[in-house]
Amino acid sequence: MLKPRTLAAVGFLTPGVGLLSVFIIFPIILTAWVSLNHWSMMTPISEMNFVGFENYTKIFDQDTFKKALANTFVYSIANLAMMLPLSLLLGLLLYQAALKGKTIVRTLLFLPYIIPSVAVAIVWGYLYSPMYGPFNEILAFFHLPTQEWLGSFDQAMMSLVILNVWQTLGYYVVIVLAGLTEISQDYYEAAAIDGANSLQRLFYITLPLLKRSLSFIVVIMTINTLQVFDPIYVLTQGGPANSTTVVSYHMYDTAFNFGNAGQASAMAFILYLVVLFFTILQLRLFKTDY
Amino acid sequence: MDKQGNISTEPSFQTALPSSTKRVEKRGYIGGFVKYLIMLLISLVMVFPFYWMAVSSLKTPVELSSLPPVWWPSSPTFESFAKIFDVVPFGSSLMNSIIVTTAATASILLTSILAGYVFAKYHFRGKNVLFVIVLSTMMVPQFVLIVPLYHMMNGLHLVNTFFGLILPNMANAFGIFLMKQFIEGIPDDLIEAARLDGASEWKIIWKVIVPLLKPAASALILFAFVYQWNNFLWPLTIVQTPEMNTVVLALNSLRSYTTSVEYTNVVMAGAVIGILPSVALFLWLQKFFIEGIAMTGIKG
Amino acid sequence: MFKKGSLILLAILLVLSIVACDSKSSTDGGSSTGEKKVKISYLTHWAAPQVEQLKSAIKEYNKIEPNVEIEVRAVPFGNLLTTLTTQSTGSGAPTITSIYELWLPQLVNDKIAAPIPAELESEVQSNYPEGIINAITINGKVYGFPNEVNLYALNYNERLFKEAGIAAPPKTWDELVDAAKKLTKKDASGKITQQGFGIITSWNSGVVHPWLSLLYSNGGELLGSDHMPVLDSKEVKETTELYQKLIFDEKTTDPSMSIANASTTGPYLDNFANGKTAMIIMANWWQSALEDSMGDKFADIKTAPIPVGPSGSGSHSVSYSWLTSVNAKADQSQQEAAWKFLKWLNSGESGENGSSAMGDMLMGMGIMPSRNSDIEAHNTDLNSPFLKPYVDELKNAKSFPIVLGGNELTTTLQQQLEQMEFGQTSQNDTLENAQKSLKDLMSQFYK
Repeated sequence: MLKPRTLAAVGFLTPGVGLLSVFIIFPIILTAWVSLNHWSMMTPISEMNFVGFENYTKIFDQDTFKKALANTFVYSIANLAMMLPLSLLLGLLLYQAALKGKTIVRTLLFLPYIIPSVAVAIVWGYLYSPMYGPFNEILAFFHLPTQEWLGSFDQAMMSLVILNVWQTLGYYVVIVLAGLTEISQDYYEAAAIDGANSLQRLFYITLPLLKRSLSFIVVIMTINTLQVFDPIYVLTQGGPANSTTVVSYHMYDTAFNFGNAGQASAMAFILYLVVLFFTILQLRLFKTDY
Repeated sequence: MDKQGNISTEPSFQTALPSSTKRVEKRGYIGGFVKYLIMLLISLVMVFPFYWMAVSSLKTPVELSSLPPVWWPSSPTFESFAKIFDVVPFGSSLMNSIIVTTAATASILLTSILAGYVFAKYHFRGKNVLFVIVLSTMMVPQFVLIVPLYHMMNGLHLVNTFFGLILPNMANAFGIFLMKQFIEGIPDDLIEAARLDGASEWKIIWKVIVPLLKPAASALILFAFVYQWNNFLWPLTIVQTPEMNTVVLALNSLRSYTTSVEYTNVVMAGAVIGILPSVALFLWLQKFFIEGIAMTGIKG
Repeated sequence: MFKKGSLILLAILLVLSIVACDSKSSTDGGSSTGEKKVKISYLTHWAAPQVEQLKSAIKEYNKIEPNVEIEVRAVPFGNLLTTLTTQSTGSGAPTITSIYELWLPQLVNDKIAAPIPAELESEVQSNYPEGIINAITINGKVYGFPNEVNLYALNYNERLFKEAGIAAPPKTWDELVDAAKKLTKKDASGKITQQGFGIITSWNSGVVHPWLSLLYSNGGELLGSDHMPVLDSKEVKETTELYQKLIFDEKTTDPSMSIANASTTGPYLDNFANGKTAMIIMANWWQSALEDSMGDKFADIKTAPIPVGPSGSGSHSVSYSWLTSVNAKADQSQQEAAWKFLKWLNSGESGENGSSAMGDMLMGMGIMPSRNSDIEAHNTDLNSPFLKPYVDELKNAKSFPIVLGGNELTTTLQQQLEQMEFGQTSQNDTLENAQKSLKDLMSQFYK
């Protein structure tokens, strides 16, 4: 009896695990190896020559890469700072059963999450357009100063963050909502008997019990935002003056426009380590006191 | 036998009732009013870009280039929708996206069910280590892979082919994880009973497991579909002729033709068509989709 | 229940089989249609109308030469180099590619571009301007047929000039600053509503070429004879000072009105087309984009030579050209067929009224051809008020340095210049940083 089942286990696991090994694990190892070599994308891989850590020292000599790394963190942190409170507030609001139309709001919130980010970026490019765009028109209507949005050194990054918040907020709200439904009503009933007010209930019951959902949000958001590429490729190409260059975009440029596969791989590998580090760190931090 | 084993552990949103509702009512209309105002505001913010996209696609070139911007076209025209097909081979792009997305989704579903079943119901040495390795592939950024993947595909002569587009996306750690979570909830007795009846493992999957997987499978189909349909970086790398473009790539090249604001309607029309399949699928299956996400949030 | 499972399986198999068939037909490996027929491909960044023209030219060619099959592949400009980079090692690499001369050294270095066969070299040598041939000559070998040529000049809006009471376009930098001041309008809060002089950002050539045109017109250089940057010169310093003056001291230029998008159009163009920018330095090819945006108002747009700087002796614009090259990794028979086709496409036999088919296609986009006979054949079109000054300036134009890593050089310089334009670094730091990073870059290629 045991043998056919072992066979089955191997047979069932092979396609999934095999594909993941060939198309994810093997390429990562290859990226690590290429990052130690000098190699032009336009020549066969056999013409690669080993240079040790030269690519790493070279990219850390580059202002653009350092700026890209810093920008990537800024983008991530700004997203976290806006999205975490917003998703929590909206989650708490939409959780209230007495509210009519909340399903519609939830659907609307979620809708942008499932459409191509290239389409979102293209549309927002027009919304932000300083001359033909509606945003400045709306601001002018309320007698507010019009903005330069993507054209401004100081605002371009923020404009990209707002775009991302609009696109992905619904996803995080849904996670908060799911976390809220998990909290047993018994806690609230007990608190009501003790005469706790709603603020106390929020801080002593809801938030502590939501910790797991919130930590999940932080991890997922970090992983997702550190990889941002599409809106930058579509909208800013890293400008103005490198204010929106991020690692993935700079890496793409280096590999496919400058043909420097070695340096591009070094950049990719560094960001991979950063993502890995944050993921493990956050999982650890949140796990210990749950 | 029905949902008990799996997703019914999550209460659905519609039925969950918090205790605070009665107090809210007492506090009168102001609180309620503020809440509805917020909801209205959020809805407006969420809808506005869609509105602008749709309306821009219906404008005439003159309206597009007039200042201040026109909020509603005086005589909406669908010309732009016909024009996309002249500018780029949009029809074949739609077809390509459908082929690639369907193939990858089907493959992800199959590989995830198979592997998920083993991880959920089998016991062997090293299973947990293997599972952690599988999970760890979930957090690998796509762009770490494109340079080596590109050269692998090149070596296999798969650049600019359907296989090149699909192959790296045929299995997915998240899918395996999702399936494992659901299958774990299926009682072992059911499987043992089938085994005693002499069913093969393959048969057990299709006769016992799969029929119970509908909600999870629907969620996974949506996830995989949306991911494939929207994917940009890999198609951008591997596709090299307009005939092989996916819809998202076609949108991107459509944009390159907009040498002036007057062509905005064509780009926006492309965006409208490009988002329709995902939107339709989502509106149809959104319950499963949202439950699927909720699931990962709680158990992740 | 079992049905459902097998259904899914069936669906997968079906889809995969479709995919398999399709992918076979889409790769161009099989070349079995008639034994003698040579299959080649032509990669270009042209837009749909020109691709159609090229296809009909190929049809014409097939009447003379039926044994060759030429497939046209068109990609957007922004994806052209990427496509070339990624495809060149593959089996489906294009046989013929239209490339920007700046990419040539790398392609030659990686043995992707093939030198023109000896018997065709005279065809190029005797029919194109010397400067353009020099730019595509590496180690004494010519690497293809030049096609379009572009150069920069000062475009200005005559209507705005009249409003401001300016009679003629500026000839020197002092006049430029002076005119820019008169042409700038601000609202009550000091925000610029109409800028006197516009720059371009977020697009590497758009940033670097106008700046370099001004530098050339101030007698300066970007690279020395040893391929190393010479950004520590007085001429360079004066050029950045001019930018400093226009952007910060006189506030006649608003960098936020300067953004270009990935299709190298966008706000900078919108602002100029809508009369919110009075002067800008741009290349001749944007004529068609301006015409599209402006309609009748395009008549207001005039062209003048680049203003001359204090250390300069004359106006010298940056010029760059494109060429059609042949893949050195293609089969011998394919290479031969490709050169033969290119010879025909660029000769007077293929086009109308003595022009080549190439010349006709380029003029269709409003782009200047570089072949002497093409310029002659299109004389009337090139005589338009917008284009004529460009054509006249061609003899004074200097090519952008054609070096290895040229694309990265442009991008690196762009980033440094933008830092200055957006007020992030001081003038001195900008030049020091630029000198250092360009030196690092160039020393990777030249010892």
